[in-house]
Amino acid sequence: MASRFWTQGGDSETEEEESDLEYEVQAGAKEGGQDVGNGSKYLRSDSDSEDSDDQKRVVRSAKDKRFDEMVHTVEQVKNSMKINDWVSIEENYDKLNKQLEKVFRVTESEVVPRVYIKALVMLEDFLAQALANKDAKKKMSPSNAKALNYMKQKLKKNNKQYEVEIEKFRENPESEVEEDKDSEMMDQSETESEAGYSDEEPDKIIGFSDSDAGDEEPEGGDGPWEKQKTRKEKIMDKQFAKDPSEISWEMVDKKVKEIIAARGRKGTDRAEQIEQLTYLLRVAKTPAQKLEVLMHVVSAQFDVNLSLNTHMPINVWKKSVQNVLSMLDILAQYPNIVLEDAMDPEMENESQKGADYDGPIHIWGNIVAFLERIDDEFFKSLQFIDPHTKDYVERLRDEPLFMVLAQNVQDYLERIGDMKAAARVALRRLEHVYYKPQAVYEAMRMQSRSVTTGENIDDGDSELDDEDRQMTKFSSDMKGPPAFVSVLEIVPRQPSFPELSRTLMDQLLSLIYRVGDERTKPRAMLCDIYYHAVSEEFHTARDLLLMSHLQDSVQHMDISTQILFNRAMAQLGLCAFRASLISEAHSCLSELYAGGRVKELLAQGVQQSRYYEKTPEQEKLERRRQMPFHMHINLELLEAVHLVSAMLLEVPNMAASALDPKKKVISKNFRRLIESSEKLAFIGPPENVRDHVMAATRALSRGDAEKAIEVIQSLDVWKLLPKKDHVLKMLKGKIQEEALRTYLFTYSPYYDALSLDQLIKMFTLSESQVHSIVSKMIVAEELHASWDQPTRCIVTHNVEPTRLQALAAQFAEKLTVLMDSNEKAYEAYTGGSLDGPPAGRRKESQDYASVTTGRWQGELSTAQGKQSSYSRYGSTGQRSLFNVGRTSQSRVGGTGGYKDLRSTQGNVRGGTTYSSTFQSTRYQDAYSSVGRTPYQSGSSVRGGQTDASGRMVSLTRSGRF
Amino acid sequence: MVERRAEVVGKMKMLEEAAAPLINFLQNPALVQELQSDKQSNLQKLNERHQIGPNQIEALYQFAKFQFECGNYSGAADYLYQYRTLCTNSDRSLSALWGKLAAEILMQNWDVALEELNRLKEVIDSKNFSSPLSQLQNRTWLMHWSLFVYFNHENGRNAIIELFFQERYLNAIQTNAHHLLRYLAIAVIINKRRRNSLKDLVKVIQQEQYTYKDPITEFLECLFVNYDFEKAQQKLFECGEVIENDFFLGKQAQEGSFVTVPLRDEFLENARLFIFETYCRIHQCIDIRMLAEKLNMDYDDAERWIVNLIRNARLDAMIDSKMGTVIMGTQRSSVYEQIIESTKQLSIRSYMLANGVVAAAAATQGYNL
Repeated sequence: MASRFWTQGGDSETEEEESDLEYEVQAGAKEGGQDVGNGSKYLRSDSDSEDSDDQKRVVRSAKDKRFDEMVHTVEQVKNSMKINDWVSIEENYDKLNKQLEKVFRVTESEVVPRVYIKALVMLEDFLAQALANKDAKKKMSPSNAKALNYMKQKLKKNNKQYEVEIEKFRENPESEVEEDKDSEMMDQSETESEAGYSDEEPDKIIGFSDSDAGDEEPEGGDGPWEKQKTRKEKIMDKQFAKDPSEISWEMVDKKVKEIIAARGRKGTDRAEQIEQLTYLLRVAKTPAQKLEVLMHVVSAQFDVNLSLNTHMPINVWKKSVQNVLSMLDILAQYPNIVLEDAMDPEMENESQKGADYDGPIHIWGNIVAFLERIDDEFFKSLQFIDPHTKDYVERLRDEPLFMVLAQNVQDYLERIGDMKAAARVALRRLEHVYYKPQAVYEAMRMQSRSVTTGENIDDGDSELDDEDRQMTKFSSDMKGPPAFVSVLEIVPRQPSFPELSRTLMDQLLSLIYRVGDERTKPRAMLCDIYYHAVSEEFHTARDLLLMSHLQDSVQHMDISTQILFNRAMAQLGLCAFRASLISEAHSCLSELYAGGRVKELLAQGVQQSRYYEKTPEQEKLERRRQMPFHMHINLELLEAVHLVSAMLLEVPNMAASALDPKKKVISKNFRRLIESSEKLAFIGPPENVRDHVMAATRALSRGDAEKAIEVIQSLDVWKLLPKKDHVLKMLKGKIQEEALRTYLFTYSPYYDALSLDQLIKMFTLSESQVHSIVSKMIVAEELHASWDQPTRCIVTHNVEPTRLQALAAQFAEKLTVLMDSNEKAYEAYTGGSLDGPPAGRRKESQDYASVTTGRWQGELSTAQGKQSSYSRYGSTGQRSLFNVGRTSQSRVGGTGGYKDLRSTQGNVRGGTTYSSTFQSTRYQDAYSSVGRTPYQSGSSVRGGQTDASGRMVSLTRSGRF
Repeated sequence: MVERRAEVVGKMKMLEEAAAPLINFLQNPALVQELQSDKQSNLQKLNERHQIGPNQIEALYQFAKFQFECGNYSGAADYLYQYRTLCTNSDRSLSALWGKLAAEILMQNWDVALEELNRLKEVIDSKNFSSPLSQLQNRTWLMHWSLFVYFNHENGRNAIIELFFQERYLNAIQTNAHHLLRYLAIAVIINKRRRNSLKDLVKVIQQEQYTYKDPITEFLECLFVNYDFEKAQQKLFECGEVIENDFFLGKQAQEGSFVTVPLRDEFLENARLFIFETYCRIHQCIDIRMLAEKLNMDYDDAERWIVNLIRNARLDAMIDSKMGTVIMGTQRSSVYEQIIESTKQLSIRSYMLANGVVAAAAATQGYNL
């Protein structure tokens, strides 16, 4: 560094620019590069250009001689070109290069003679021509073709070095050949020497030596070329810096276009581009232009990281946030500037109009797209940073920064009335808030406040303002005019979060519901559901879910929405569990666990499947979908909740229908677990969640509530629950109740009477609880017993059939089915019915038919066997009791009684099973009343048969792309 | 006050003047008879012969509204009725209907009000509202207003159940008028013939439990969900108070010096029956003393009450007067009986089938031969 200061004392602007350059771009290569750079200076620049100005004229004659030689060689090249003799061209070309070196040596400067450049251009053109002409190429002699190839490589390498000159030459081939050569030479020599000193990267030196030797190393090529470009840039810079007032709008515009044209091309240094653009930003003439350039800066910043699988460097991210903020500043200050996505090409000179121009100025750009990209990058960076490191926490701290930006963008969009886009932005903000419980939200709020105030106080080394500060430093250092367009920081840099996250949510949600589109609305709805679930408002969340009919429509949405849906369902399940709504919790979670792919469904880690190999692309896709760690739902807790609720439902159910082969299975998943745990020869002490629940299940199915409670409560995951004690107490109660039910189911056939007091003692439940549970079971016909009030006993009727009897009943039933189908077959065969049967039998056979078809039809079939036998109880025994209301029904016959019983049974067993049609129509009508979801009026009715049972979204569809 | 009165009178005069031609026309029965069912031709005729245009008709509406506001309900009702025959604007005719209903309610013409109510309901159900929301709102209003009618009309309790249990109206209740559940619950409990809707009601109550709760719904919940009789008893007691204080329910009837609330007594009676019924369903043997306590009766009353129930064949039970217990009769068919019953038909059926097959086979054989 010092050496450069020394050499270029007079040229502070360039110097500054350069140091800026290094600071920003080559931060990594800095230390290493500098040493080598210094070394190289002494090594190479034996002819130090400090005094080149003085010496130039002295050696004129020697120089001329060399020039003549070169001209001669060039002539030769021309001749051989005419006869297409590449071998001699190559020879002459090498000669030419050697001569050039000599010229350099003589002139003691590295000014490239014009003749040489001309020859290069000529060669290049000719080469291109030759290459294009494929036929001719084929006809060439082998040696000739070989030479051609050599030439191609050499020329390519060499020309890179002189790109600027070549370009200049091409621009004006004839003019300025002689025209003020001296000054140009001066100029160029300065640049050259400057470049010589700033040689810092090792690869550059290699590049220089390579270019002559014609080495094949590919990396070597980039170095000098890049450097050349910076050199070129520096020329521009210098021009600008020298005469800031002379820089016209056109110049900036041209330069911007040039840089943009290079964008995306192979080998373009992206960091470099950003630098150039940042510089241009400072010299932009009009606010509109500045904005335009800013646009390009931001997109260039996005380009820094091309790969989809890695995230943008964090400091670049921060800078782009700042840039977008300053865009907003400009937009706020000059409301006449309009950003447009699709713009006519002829309007592209709009940015010429000055700050005082009144009419609308159209600038190409889409600030929402920027914002979304920034958000995506933030998300991605969180995906990739190891969540257990400090980096992750640091990164999370940047969230308020994004929130500010999003808020400002949204304000802007609302100001210009682009509500659709505003809704999109609002959704982005929403997605940063929805999963945070109030406490976390509070933390974020406090933290963001402290960050911003801290920044204002020390005004120093926070990274966020780095660039701004540098900018101001530069402009003051330049002693010239500062940035042409200074923009005040209008847009607030401090986030303003409302006190309650609910308020924020409501603000955003109402906006989205009002103006959102097809995608944002369901997403917002899901966020809302999630948030309600987090904040313990199960019913609100459930109503929202059911009213919006999201279960139906989510299948057709994009994967990330489906993931969001799954997350919302999981959270809803947890919420239901905390609110001690066990069956709801189970129905929310069971589908999530049905396929054993929870991790994938929630996008919390990739699950290895034994049966099915994923292609790398699928895996990549999946990785890209992952949720950042801080948004995870704890899987262990989820599993515990799922299994415990399955246990509470399934164990009594199993006990109730132990003899019935057509038993209704509530949780298949849980059944499988039980089976596998039953197969174990030895049962060790429980280790994971599953083991615990299995141990509890064993205890529970024996009716041993205490043991079960003990095992369940020993689970660690409960401490993740916000209201642990409350939940555990609830769990204890539930387990006791279910243990009682299980006990009664299992052992009541063996008793004639059970004493209420004993039951109370056994299960440590209160009398009213026991009474209520037993009564429920009696009414639901689950327990064939009745109370004997004076003695406080349950008298069992023991109508529960023994195993033989049950089998006999089944057999009889099967026979009827067989009979029935025989008759049907007969009827189908003969085309007529049997004439003989008495009327009574006809009627009855219809009954049977209805029973049997019912079996084949619905899900209810599983419970049918048992129920149809009930139906006979119903029509015979039950009728004579107090069926004040039911007599009319039982007249209809078996089916009527059956229906009635089914609903009672379902009612009690499911806890709160709602009849499906009832529920669904309710919500269909209701959706409108709330006015939030007017968009699905046409959607089909699918009520939850148990209330919040939504379908989990499977991701297999996506996996097969 | 005087000023205000002058102002009101002035306005009335003005409106009356504006509507005068039409009113005059309407007061002439001969002319009214000329009117036909077709609205369009009526309007045309009016316009041609009597110079009554839309302005006058509009004035009639305003006048009727003003009459209503002044308290002259019968006038308002008449005018609105006539307005409806002439008006073409469906929104206006809807509000005219509302006006008419209000007037009838205020005049306590329950029969007419019920008629109006049904008409209004039809209009609301069939009309295309600009948004489902406003339709829902209209339904909710209708239900609220219907309370006036139903709890005063003799057949109202049946009608209220019918109306409220219609799916759309039930939805409306659940979404934005949970408190109406109370009236529905009471109507169901009181109405002996409507026992089967009880199940639905309990379901709805349970569903809405988290948003709406009052002693009456809690009573039902205690009784039919938790089978907690003690608590149900307690709730029943609270229910009595609630009913007394309720505007619609607590209507007092005076008999001499006695002031009774007939609805409350009816409710309590029926609720008691409910409790007893449920109680019997799960018991085999009940102590009458305890039962009496539960039913808020003294021993003898309870015994008499039960005997009456048994005699009316509504209860299959016997009283053991020595022990002071009621013993429920149980009738349960044994498993054997069930199986026999279910297989009894099989042999006949298969016999028939076999016969059929043989006959058919013989027929085809005969045909072939």
